[in-house]
Amino acid sequence: MQERDALLKKKVQDSVEQIPSDQLLLLDPIIEKYQGSMSYLIPALKEAQETFGYLPMEVQRKLAKGLNIPAPHIYGVVTFYSFFTVTPRGRHTIRLCLGTACYVKGAKDMLQIIVKEVGINVGETSKDGRFTLEAVRCLGACGLAPVMMIGEDTHGNIIPSATLGILEGYQ
Amino acid sequence: MVTLTIDGVKVAVKKGSSILEAAQQAGVRIPTLCHDKRLIPYGSCRLCIVEVTARGRTRTMPACFNPARDGMEVATNTPKLRDARRLQLMLLLRSHPLLCPSCDAGGDCQLQNLVFDYEVPELSFGRQSRYFHTDNDSNFIRFNMNLCIRCGMCVRICEEVQGQSELSFVGRGIESEVSTDFDRPLDCEFCGQCASICPVGAISSKWLVGTGRRFELQNTSTVCAFCSLGCSLTLGEKDGKTVYVTSSEDSANEGNLCVKGRYGWPFAYSESRLTKPLVRKNGSLVETTWDEAIQTVAEKFGAIKKSSGPDSLAALGSQRLTNEEAFVFNRLVRTVFGTNNLDHAGGYAYRSVTDGLAPMLGYAASTNQIREIRDAKAVLLLGADLTETHPIAKNEINLASARKKAKVIVVDSIRTKLSYREGFFLSVPPGSEDLIVNSMLKFIIDGGLLDRASVDLRSEGFEELLASLKDYTPENVAAVLGLDANLIKAAATAYAKAETGVIILSEGLNRYHDNSPLSKAAVNLALVTGHIGKESCGVYVFGEKANAQGALDMGLTPELLPGYHSVRDEAARTKFEALWNGQIPASPGMSAQDIFKGAENGSVKGLYVVGENPVDTYPNRQQVENALGKLDFLVVQDMFLSSTANRADVVLPVSAPYEKTGTFTSSERRIQKLNPSSKPIQGKPDLEIFMSLAAGMGKPELSYAGYSEVMSEIAGVVPMYSGVSYEKIGDKGLVWPCLDIEDSGTPILYEGGFPIGKARLAAAKPIGTVSRSSGSFKLIPCVLKFHSGSFSEWSPSLMEVCPPGFAEMSRVDMTDLGLNDGDTIKIIGNNGQAISLKANESRRALQGMVLVPYHFSKNKLNSFTDWGSTEIVIQVEKA
Repeated sequence: MQERDALLKKKVQDSVEQIPSDQLLLLDPIIEKYQGSMSYLIPALKEAQETFGYLPMEVQRKLAKGLNIPAPHIYGVVTFYSFFTVTPRGRHTIRLCLGTACYVKGAKDMLQIIVKEVGINVGETSKDGRFTLEAVRCLGACGLAPVMMIGEDTHGNIIPSATLGILEGYQ
Repeated sequence: MVTLTIDGVKVAVKKGSSILEAAQQAGVRIPTLCHDKRLIPYGSCRLCIVEVTARGRTRTMPACFNPARDGMEVATNTPKLRDARRLQLMLLLRSHPLLCPSCDAGGDCQLQNLVFDYEVPELSFGRQSRYFHTDNDSNFIRFNMNLCIRCGMCVRICEEVQGQSELSFVGRGIESEVSTDFDRPLDCEFCGQCASICPVGAISSKWLVGTGRRFELQNTSTVCAFCSLGCSLTLGEKDGKTVYVTSSEDSANEGNLCVKGRYGWPFAYSESRLTKPLVRKNGSLVETTWDEAIQTVAEKFGAIKKSSGPDSLAALGSQRLTNEEAFVFNRLVRTVFGTNNLDHAGGYAYRSVTDGLAPMLGYAASTNQIREIRDAKAVLLLGADLTETHPIAKNEINLASARKKAKVIVVDSIRTKLSYREGFFLSVPPGSEDLIVNSMLKFIIDGGLLDRASVDLRSEGFEELLASLKDYTPENVAAVLGLDANLIKAAATAYAKAETGVIILSEGLNRYHDNSPLSKAAVNLALVTGHIGKESCGVYVFGEKANAQGALDMGLTPELLPGYHSVRDEAARTKFEALWNGQIPASPGMSAQDIFKGAENGSVKGLYVVGENPVDTYPNRQQVENALGKLDFLVVQDMFLSSTANRADVVLPVSAPYEKTGTFTSSERRIQKLNPSSKPIQGKPDLEIFMSLAAGMGKPELSYAGYSEVMSEIAGVVPMYSGVSYEKIGDKGLVWPCLDIEDSGTPILYEGGFPIGKARLAAAKPIGTVSRSSGSFKLIPCVLKFHSGSFSEWSPSLMEVCPPGFAEMSRVDMTDLGLNDGDTIKIIGNNGQAISLKANESRRALQGMVLVPYHFSKNKLNSFTDWGSTEIVIQVEKA
């Protein structure tokens, strides 16, 4: 039986960084604020993510205990919404549009440049913690194709070779 | 009622039933993969689609969550539906690994069966491989989520029925799977419900892996021997050894089991089981033959009886004896030993029913069925931590709370898990639950929330009750207990105004004081609000061990003969004397407490302990040890060499519950039959030992051809059992009172009135004071769901998942004492006794309370307890 399980390759677990216990005290006001109702889980998670940048195991477990919500339920919510993340994100999130219009106007080349030069694939964070790369379907600005968002800033009509220049502005 | 036609069969069903339920009633099988009668319909598998013609239109819809309506014409097996189901199965097979030959569920897999039934010819879609988590590290249960078909039944039973929510869907879309948070191993109740409900092999019992397939097992159904709820068990054996335990969906417990029932049975295979009798020779216990052991016991008891009189002998029975054994034991002690010094379970565990319920209502038993609790609109839990003591009854409260929006009112000194349900939590010092009940009663009467008709027509003693409640205003009681009076008022209003309401108490050796004032208060409350004699109402008292109710019915007490006849009652005594062919003393004998006092002062010289372990479980360990030391002769009848057996002069090994026959009576008065598995018997059944002992003591007429002969004798003298026979008990059991051969049992008591005429309200005892000492802690001996008395210590599986416990303390107390989780603390009692154990922070412990499980003989927790005391004051320090 053991061999059979080995055949069905086990999913690779994301490595999770430890958060020191004194930093977890930052969760106390959030717990205080949202205690008592299951329906405030999402706002509580949002605030926790704003505090830590991501939602690692210790944060989720502490929220579970404090809000009296089963930890598996919280994990289910966190993994369901793409907004939440259990791994740290970079300081800047690049949202590159790979919709049809952007794709034909050069987003594919931009992606290649980012993958090659920054060294991260879609869904990954660079080692220096500077960028997280996400591919999106459409940003609703096809007239500006190809479009890329970095954090809250939108960049349009990009010539692929200028991609790195734009990234230079975000340290 | 709604009438509809399903595949040409006309069927009438209750309004609100689904088409699926209607089809089941009509005997038409509709395939499902995500439906279970215990769960709310979910509609994810889409296999139950049917064609419904109503008002001239034919539509396809899932049968599981669409209600049956008048005049519907339902077709369940048209070519179109078969095609649709086949397609659905092919889609499931697209990513389901086809390793059926090596899968644990092979042959018992619902997906496999349906693929066979629907003749899926080929896999028309490309295979899709996704990898999900596997878990081989959890106790008892293994996960291989690659086999999962996303029916969600495990997630739903864990949340809806168990109230545990240990599993959840994680991830999204095609990547979603069932898991715990971060795929960690389970840390839950280990009820195994997820494994038993899984339609495929994704979640399965570890013990079956590499052992056998479920269809190969030889099944025996019997009754669980742990707590008193009487769940039915199916023992699955392979090559003569039990390997898998489950429960039938058709049983009273609907297939639900807790960790003890499902995984606790390996104690029967423990290497520590005694196989041969032991006799003390030169100070140590040595193995001997049955003949010598019985002869030694008979001679020694005979000699003591001759020299010091029959009342120098005493006997302790057990809630683990079957009805038949308890009955014969009763006969043995009263007619052969010639004494009424007979008791069990510490002498207190049953007081709430014999001194509370019986004189007030007529019967010494819970009034209603366990399965009715789910429909109650209010649940009042009095010192009943059902999550730990009776996990299957806790499920009913989860259902009532979630599905019927019942208010759960918890009155306890522990912050129990059920107290987080919608409702009220009233914290009280240990043993003071009755104050709250009385003040609720006072508030209900004063506020006119009472059921006048019930009070006037069905009960008497209202004026006396009212007078005795004078001081019990919510404000007074709130001040005594340090609570908010409005909380008491709100709880009282919720219970009184609810259409149906149940009150639940639990008994056990962890509650070492007399619970009868509490049960009296509870009955008063139920009577005054009219919550009795109706469905989903009443008062429940859940005993601790399997035959708690039967032990009482069979009179294992100093003053009651079988059937609750008093030994003082001359007519009853004469009847039993004629039947039993021997004299019965006319005055009540010693209670368990008196027996130990008697042994200490020398008036009791010989003691016969059957199936109990007083050294580890009775209050006041020092007294028990001291008393046992002074006895001339101690005989212990047990499966294991318990702390008590270790001090015995003769130890008689008995067979395990899975090896014998007989009947148990559960806390809902259900008499159920035990059936032995094919496991060879170790030791002897208690009944056989009693008979040979009687023969050895010169009474060979105490002899029965078998258990069913004892049952027919019981039917002759125990009024509630008059109509009981083994044939009638059958597979589903029989709920007493069952008065004659026609009677099919009485699930709800007092529907037509009370056997004693009118119910008698009992006056409340004067309000006392509650000490609130500062600087010290109160010790609460608590129960853990993984254990049952000290007996479960012999089950390696239960000890693996819950090794000797730790103390639970509140966060505030831990911080004050400078303790971290896992630090060792020293508990010092007022009597100077001290024990050391590890402490953990727990939400269950309120400030000032220290919770310690009483199960572990190693902890010697009964060093601190004493007969009748309600609270134990201790000092705690960091060790």
